[in-house]
Amino acid sequence: MEENDRSTIQFRVNEGVAHLILNQPPSNKMTLAFFSEFNRIIDQIQDNPAIKALVISGNGRHFSSGADLPALLAEIQKQSEVDTVGKLSFIPDFMRANYQSILKLEAMNIPVISAIRGVCLGSALELALFCHFRFCGEDTVFGLPETSFNLIPGLGGIRKMTSLAGKANALEFILRGKTFSAADALKIHIVDRIFPKRQVVDITLGFIRKIMDDYRKEKSGMYLKKFLPV
Amino acid sequence: MEKIDKITWEIRDDIGIITLDNPPENYLVRPEFLPYDTLKKWTSYDYLKGILICGSGKHFSGGGKLENLYEMIKANEDIASRMEEGKAVLDHLENLTIPIAAAIQGICFGGGLEIALACHIRVCSENALFAFPEINSRVLPGLGGTVRFHELAGFPESMKMILGGDMINAEDALELKLVDQITPKATLFDHTFNLLKKMTYDRPMEVIHGVMQALQNARKLSHLEAMQQETRIFCELALTEARRRNKNNAK
Repeated sequence: MEENDRSTIQFRVNEGVAHLILNQPPSNKMTLAFFSEFNRIIDQIQDNPAIKALVISGNGRHFSSGADLPALLAEIQKQSEVDTVGKLSFIPDFMRANYQSILKLEAMNIPVISAIRGVCLGSALELALFCHFRFCGEDTVFGLPETSFNLIPGLGGIRKMTSLAGKANALEFILRGKTFSAADALKIHIVDRIFPKRQVVDITLGFIRKIMDDYRKEKSGMYLKKFLPV
Repeated sequence: MEKIDKITWEIRDDIGIITLDNPPENYLVRPEFLPYDTLKKWTSYDYLKGILICGSGKHFSGGGKLENLYEMIKANEDIASRMEEGKAVLDHLENLTIPIAAAIQGICFGGGLEIALACHIRVCSENALFAFPEINSRVLPGLGGTVRFHELAGFPESMKMILGGDMINAEDALELKLVDQITPKATLFDHTFNLLKKMTYDRPMEVIHGVMQALQNARKLSHLEAMQQETRIFCELALTEARRRNKNNAK
């Protein structure tokens, strides 16, 4: 068993199951340090054939309240090159690295499930959307509030909301920036199952342990669907 | 208010309203819906935050009238180029980077359904009915309806609707994801109009365009390109927002 408890992420591997925990409680805000740690761990998981499944959750009551906005804005401004009319000439490297990690997460050939409770907002929801499945507690609050800060979801959240929930729902939830409940999330196919909040993480770990060996052979979301706990 | 070929255009609270105004069935006078230049002119105002398309009275639209089409063919009119223009009109609507919603009640057939399919959001009343009756006259939807319907509902359902000419009600349409919401008909217009207003109210234009552009990309670009573009739009808005906050702090 490997363990690393010092930083923005707790990461442990136990009998083939990797557990990545966002670790800046209570809000588990996704700071710049979090993202660079996250990118490093994703590469590490990809390079480790002993890892057969990945569960992502938050430390404590919440999954995460999303990105550390002031720090993110400042860093984008610092790292952006603009042309003569003040337009962005290219995407800053660290932002590129972030969406590339999220794409790697999505493309993993091991099952990736997020176990969500409390708040799951902005970039945190985007991260969860790119997992293969989402289990959540009954009182989870979801939202993509970026537009209320004059921004948009920038890590593929718009793309993923559209494919999961359809154009109209994506448009409404993103433009209004309103939070929505676990029940709403289930209805628009943003989450796959709702469980009692205290049990979400344990149920997810137990479930993924049961299916992970077959998943490697099948690599099929449909196959996993058959085994989803009710 | 402007009017052409029994279709009216007005702007209320920065939301454009296109009314199919040929009651009772609101048949389209032109099979191509609207002249392309007219639609382009109507939608060119840069303060426009959304567009609502609805029918006058009890119905959305019965679509084009086949008799008209036969008359045109008899008169040696170039039907093909009219249909091309119609497709360009609906593509233009669909590609606009502001939200377009259809408020549908009563019948929504043929060309009417094709117009609704080009919208980003479809709200209907419980009494709405949907069909592609073209097959009964040995033709098929000609304004992109086959493609858009297939995109929404998949192959088997498209065959049932387009080849079978089946009519479906509001609940079936919701199940097929052909419509996004059902509301009582008495509040249909207000509900849809308020939905557009709530979505766009106090949102800066560049944020609305950014979200819409990213949504359009999701449909048109590869997965990777769409991701890149989304992050790019985010960074551009973030840059603007960072400058704005700096300025406010300096004050």
